[in-house]
Amino acid sequence: MCVGLSAKVVSVKDKTALIDAGGAQRSISAGVLDDLEPGDYVMVHAGVAIAKITETDEEEAASVMEELL
Amino acid sequence: MNEQMKKARDIITGYKGRPLRIMEVCGTHTHEIFRLGIRKLVPEGVEIISGPGCPVCVTAVGFIDEAVWLALEKGCTVCTFGDLIKVPGTEMSLAGARAKGADIRPVYSPLDAVELARSEPDRQVVFLAVGFETTTPSACLAAKTAKEEGLDNFSLLTANKTMPNAYNALVGSADAFIYPGHVNAITGNAVCQRLCDERGVSGVVAGFTASELMTALAVCIRGLEKGEPFFKNCYPRVVKDEGNPAAIRIMEEVMEPCDSEWRGLGLIPLSGMKLRAEYAGFDSRVKYSMPKITGKPNPACRCGDVLQGKCKPSDCKVFGKVCTPLHPVGACMVSDEGACSAYYQYSGLV
Amino acid sequence: MSEQTVTLAHGAGGRQTSELIEKVFKAHFSNPEFTADDAAVLPKIEGRLGFTTDGFIVSPWKFSGGNIGKLSICGTVNDLSCMGARPKYMTCAFVIEEGFPLSDLEEIAAAMEKTANEVGIKIVAGDTKVAGKGQVDGVFITTTGIGEIVEGADTSGKYARPGDAVIVTGDVGRHGCTILLARDTYGIESDVDSDCAPLWGTVESILSVTKDIHVIRDATRGGVGTVLYEIAEQSGVGIALDQAAIPVDERVKGVCGLLGLEPLYLACEGRLVIFAPDDKAQLIVEKLREGKYSTNAAVIGHVTEENKGRVILETEIGTQTILPQPKGELLPRIC
Repeated sequence: MCVGLSAKVVSVKDKTALIDAGGAQRSISAGVLDDLEPGDYVMVHAGVAIAKITETDEEEAASVMEELL
Repeated sequence: MNEQMKKARDIITGYKGRPLRIMEVCGTHTHEIFRLGIRKLVPEGVEIISGPGCPVCVTAVGFIDEAVWLALEKGCTVCTFGDLIKVPGTEMSLAGARAKGADIRPVYSPLDAVELARSEPDRQVVFLAVGFETTTPSACLAAKTAKEEGLDNFSLLTANKTMPNAYNALVGSADAFIYPGHVNAITGNAVCQRLCDERGVSGVVAGFTASELMTALAVCIRGLEKGEPFFKNCYPRVVKDEGNPAAIRIMEEVMEPCDSEWRGLGLIPLSGMKLRAEYAGFDSRVKYSMPKITGKPNPACRCGDVLQGKCKPSDCKVFGKVCTPLHPVGACMVSDEGACSAYYQYSGLV
Repeated sequence: MSEQTVTLAHGAGGRQTSELIEKVFKAHFSNPEFTADDAAVLPKIEGRLGFTTDGFIVSPWKFSGGNIGKLSICGTVNDLSCMGARPKYMTCAFVIEEGFPLSDLEEIAAAMEKTANEVGIKIVAGDTKVAGKGQVDGVFITTTGIGEIVEGADTSGKYARPGDAVIVTGDVGRHGCTILLARDTYGIESDVDSDCAPLWGTVESILSVTKDIHVIRDATRGGVGTVLYEIAEQSGVGIALDQAAIPVDERVKGVCGLLGLEPLYLACEGRLVIFAPDDKAQLIVEKLREGKYSTNAAVIGHVTEENKGRVILETEIGTQTILPQPKGELLPRIC
């Protein structure tokens, strides 16, 4: 139900963050994430950073799979 | 394809057990499963079905009629996620209203609609607040900002929905659920864990990349092979067990649960969110003294049955004749991954 | 000093119209064939002719990588080029909104001159109308062009054959992405620029290595995806694309990711889709990569006997899926 884009935080001021995805930049709300810092990666949905995340999905798949096998 | 993906693929394609029904309940999962051709990967006997997880598909006809009323009768500028623009209402879609001169604007974020209201005080701006727990915090932030700034030309037409009671309504319709990663990023995993512990409902939380989806599907199939009810978060880089507490707080501060009508599923008690009384001034229905508007879906359209898996798109009389992707009658024909649209575009595919 | 603008008098046909033509258009379009009479008289052209017309409206009229003037030349030049026709002569008709700044009109004419000169097409006749404020959005331009088809070239959307390679001459969707951002509807900033370019040189270069090319089409409105569906339909064939081989600029990916859009459906204004026999594909791509407008040309798929009228994508996990059919308006989605 929800298109999300992982993006890198460029700067944070008050409750607004500037994010970058492949050179496309936009201001979004950091209203539901505290202590965001430049360099963090976030999941963005409808103009709001909804979660702090790791940069790629690779390690995760590896660890989830490891438990499985 | 990397090693992990190959492992996941081998588990998925190698499954030889009893027939399985795995249901995803997220429009973006539907979209990615379609884009990646995952249904072509799973062995015969494993069926991936799409539950009511697309806010467009589950939005009741009457909601579109309400939005059209605000745009045409009240002259409001209606800001909406692009998804809703082509969804048919009783008389017309928002695109149809636009052709009649209504000011309908696709926006990326509800906060952009607030910005429009702020920069043009003479314009009455309405934002169409649809979506699940992932999207609702953005609408709540918009309402809160508008209230703090005292904007008197901004309001929300709400049809926000929540998943827990929908899950309850869906229990039994699949062997396992693929839970919507970005909803759980907000709500956390407690509801899904409880479904497993208390009612024996199995499921995995999944992300959206090829690797994330394949991994989740592999975990799901392995779990079903073992036979015990299971719950596994396969998207921990985004989804924490506790979710996003700040997002939950703002939702509780601005909105409260209400009954909500789902296209296909009907009225589900306490499966929606509406603005609290303190925010009544930002509720379009209150602000414009909206009369009760009841949508009348095209009686021939069987989207409701399709959404519940009660019939195939091709069983519907209007399917492929008057209802096509270019001229959708029902919501399931609107987006590419809607059940009817996908069925239409795939039919006869080698 | 107030800025000089186009007025209704400029379009009335009198002295002010002549002034506008002298000052703006003749200054930029002058060549021996540019006519002051009712019609241009052209020298005899040998061979078969390509002949085309196209209207241009774009908002905003100026964007990163071009403006409506450049676009109006590229559009007609590229349409001719797709048929293997060397662009020779063209006409242009302007409909200008009252109050449009003369300096902007000047900028548009200068871009037209520069682009036309690059491919050697001559502007030989024109027309100017001025419409009342609000009746048009800034300026609309219609161009019509005529070209001489190179001996041996024979292309058509009907000629795609099973086994043909499908080539794009560069990364897809940059023009559409640029315009989307220039309209500033979605608050996204990026330094992405339009791919808008005149492509006769590109076509001439590949015709110099082989005439055995079945289809050339420029992927404008609707993007590469729409063109592929058109050709699958016209030729009665299927098209299978290798998703991973389709070149997309990182910046375009970023914007599309934010808005949930498909790059294959974003417009290009300087990209060709070429269908040619598989054994010529490598030769063509190598030649294309030498050209300045096609450095990241790539084979993105092939034509199939099965799946007639459809475009199939081979995905990153080795399955096949269908490219959703084009549906017109591009809308950002959250779902």
